[in-house]
Amino acid sequence: MGIDLVGMEDVWILPAIPFAVFILVSFFGRLIPRNGDFIAVLGMALVVLLVGLVLVDFQGAFHDEVFAPIAGANTYSFDWIDIGDGFFVIEFSTYVDAVTMVMLPVVSFVSLMVLVYSIGYMKGEARYGWYFAALSFFVAAMLLLVISGNLLQLYLAWEAVGLASYLLIGFYWERQSAAEAAKKAFITTRIGDVGLLIGIILLWRVTGTFDIQEIIHAAEEGVFGQTYLTVAMLFLFAGAAGKSAQFPFHVWLPDAMEGPTPVSALIHAATMVVAGVYLVARMLPVYDEVLIARDVVLYVGLITALMAATMGLVATDIKRVLAFSTVSQLGFMFAALGVGALTAAMFHLFTHAFFKSLLFLGSGSVIHATEQQEVGELGGLRKKMPITALTFTIGSLALAGIPVFAGFWSKDEILHDLQHYGPFAAYVILAVTAALTAIYTTRLVLLTFFGKPKNEQAYEHAHESPPIMTGPLVILAVLALVVGFITYQGVGESLGFVGGIGELVYLPHHGPHVFKLDIAFAAVATATAVVGVAIGIMYWWGDARRAIAAQSWAPELHQLLVRRYYLDELYQGVINHVVLGAAAVVAWFDKRVVNETGVDGSTQFVGFLGYRFKFLQTGRIPHYVLGMALGVAALAVVAIGTT
Amino acid sequence: MIPIENFLILSSLLFAMGLYGVLARRSAILILMSIELMLAAVSINFIAFATYLDGEAFSGLVFALFVITVAAAEVGLALGIVLRLFRERRTAYVDAADSLKW
Repeated sequence: MGIDLVGMEDVWILPAIPFAVFILVSFFGRLIPRNGDFIAVLGMALVVLLVGLVLVDFQGAFHDEVFAPIAGANTYSFDWIDIGDGFFVIEFSTYVDAVTMVMLPVVSFVSLMVLVYSIGYMKGEARYGWYFAALSFFVAAMLLLVISGNLLQLYLAWEAVGLASYLLIGFYWERQSAAEAAKKAFITTRIGDVGLLIGIILLWRVTGTFDIQEIIHAAEEGVFGQTYLTVAMLFLFAGAAGKSAQFPFHVWLPDAMEGPTPVSALIHAATMVVAGVYLVARMLPVYDEVLIARDVVLYVGLITALMAATMGLVATDIKRVLAFSTVSQLGFMFAALGVGALTAAMFHLFTHAFFKSLLFLGSGSVIHATEQQEVGELGGLRKKMPITALTFTIGSLALAGIPVFAGFWSKDEILHDLQHYGPFAAYVILAVTAALTAIYTTRLVLLTFFGKPKNEQAYEHAHESPPIMTGPLVILAVLALVVGFITYQGVGESLGFVGGIGELVYLPHHGPHVFKLDIAFAAVATATAVVGVAIGIMYWWGDARRAIAAQSWAPELHQLLVRRYYLDELYQGVINHVVLGAAAVVAWFDKRVVNETGVDGSTQFVGFLGYRFKFLQTGRIPHYVLGMALGVAALAVVAIGTT
Repeated sequence: MIPIENFLILSSLLFAMGLYGVLARRSAILILMSIELMLAAVSINFIAFATYLDGEAFSGLVFALFVITVAAAEVGLALGIVLRLFRERRTAYVDAADSLKW
C-alpha cells in the first residue's frame, strides 16, 4: 500500500525536502509564479505526510519488538570523514526513537500551519519569496537537528537553525531595531554554542565518538570521571540554555519579536527554542549520572520560569507577553527535565507547541488587522474578529492550564513529577508561576479582545482575517483542545500506539507509566489556574481600574519588571567595559607596536640607510674603477692568505 | 741568465704604473693607453714564467699571444665607446659621463 515505502531508516529525506525547496525558491523564485510560496507549502505537506508514514513504521516496531522506546532504531549511518582509522570520524547518522517521534510531528505540522498562514499574512510584503525560502531552510535545519544521531551533526544543524533565526528576525532589516535584535539573538546564542561545542569535545575526548547512544552507554558504564562528566554536561547545558532562552541567556527572545509574527510562532515558540529542551532530553540518561548538573538544569528552569512570568505580567506588546510566556514555559520543561521527568517535559513541549503557535498566529491576526501591537491601543476586538478571539481564548485557556485543554494535562504532569521527585520548594515555585501564567494570560486576552476599544481608529480598521489565516488558527485551536488527552492509555491505544504518552516516552529506569488521574492533585492545580484567571479578571476587566491602581503601589517594582530586571543594561555594561576594554588594549598594540614601529619604522629605517649610502653613487667612472681595483686586491689577499 | 725576479719586478712596476694611469687620468684615450700598459706588463710576466720555469711547456707564450689579440679587439671596441662619449659630451674626459650620479 505504499506504507512500507518510507520507514525510520529513511528519515534523512525529511530535512532534504525543505532544503531542496529552499534552494529552489531562493535561486529560482523570481521565475516561478507567486515566488514559489506554494512550493514551500506543498513541500511541507509532503513532509507531514512522510512523518505520518514514519510514525506508522514506528508504531509497527513497537508492537513487534520488545518494548524499549529509548533504545530506538539507530537507523542510518554514513561515514563522511575518517581520520586516523576511527580516531576522528565525522559521520551522518540518524536516530529515531520516541523522543524523535514527538518532535517530528510537532516541527512538521506547526511549520505547515505557519507556512499556510504566512501566505495570507505576508501578502504584498517585500522579499516575499526569500521569506519562504528562509523558512524552508529553517525547517530543514530543525528536522536535521531532531533526527541527528551524533553530536557533531546536531551541532551543525544547531548552528544552521541559529542562522535561520538570525535571517528571519532580521527580515525587516530596514528597521534598525530588527537588525539589532537579530544580532543580539545570534550573539547571545553563540555564546551558549561555544559551551555546547566544548561539551561535545569533552565528551569525544574520553569516548572517541560523537555518536549519542555510544556516549550514553559510556556514561552509564562509568567511563567518565564524575567531575569531568559534570563539567561536560554543564557546558552542554550552556548551549541548551542559550538556544532556549533560559536565564541568563533569555535576553534575546523578547527582542526577537521584531521578526514577522509567523516566524515568532514557528521559531520562537514551537520549534527552535525547544532545541535546547530536545538536547537535554536526548542526553538525559547522561544527566542522570551527574545529578549536580541535572540539578543546575532544574534551578535554571525554575528561576527562568518565575522571572519570565513576572516580566510577562507588565509587558504591553502582545508579542512580548507571549515571548516571556514562552521563556517561562520552557523553564517549566527544563524544570521537569531537571528532576528526570522526561515524559512530562516532552509532553509539555508537544502541547505547548500547538497552543503557543496558536497564540502567536492569533496575535498576528490582530496585528494584521489593526496595525497595532501594543495592548494599550487594542480592546474589544472580539466583536470585530470573532474567530481570532475564540481561537486565541482557547489557546490562552490551554496556556493557563484550565482542565480539558491541552496545557492542563502537560502542566499537571510536570507539577506532579516535580512534587514527587523534586524538592518541595521547586513545586511551590512552579505552582506560583502557573498562577502567574494564568494571570498574565487572562490579562492579555481581556486587554486585547474585551473591554472598550482604546484606539478608535485601530478598532474601525479591524476586520476578521481571511480564511487562509483563520484556517490554521482553527486547526491549532482544535488541537489545543484535544491533544492533551493522549495522556490516557485508552486514547493512545485507539490511535494505534501501545498506550498513552507515559508508555511511549520515558526514561529507562523510570519505566513506562500508565496515567492515572490524581484527583486531589489535579484539583489543586486547577484551583491555582482558576484563581489566576479570577485575579486576572478582577484586575483587568472593563477599564482595568484595579490594575492601574496596582501599578502605583510599587512603581520601582513595576519599573524593575518593565526594564527586565536591568539585565540588558548589565550585559551592555559588561560588554562596554570588559570586551571593549580588552579590544582597546589590543587596538593600542596594533597601532603602536605593529603599525607605527614595525611597519612605518621599517620603512623609515630603510629610507635612512638609503639616504646615507646614496652618496657612493657618484656616477664617475674613475671611482668605480677604483672600487674594482680595491675589490680585486682584497680577493687577492684572501686567496693568497688561504693557500 | 738574469734572475727571473728582474722580469717580475719589471712587470709589477709596469702594471702599477698602468693601474695608476687608469685611476688617475681624465682623458679616455690615456686610460686606454694605461690599460694597454697593464696588458703588456701581464704579458711580460707570462713570458718570463714560461721561459724560466719550464722549457718544454710554452703555454705562457701562447697566453701572451692571446693577450695581444684580446688587447687589439678590446681597443677597437673601446675606441668606439670613446667616440660615442665624445659625440654626446663634446669631450673625451671620462668624468663627463656621470648621468648615473645619485
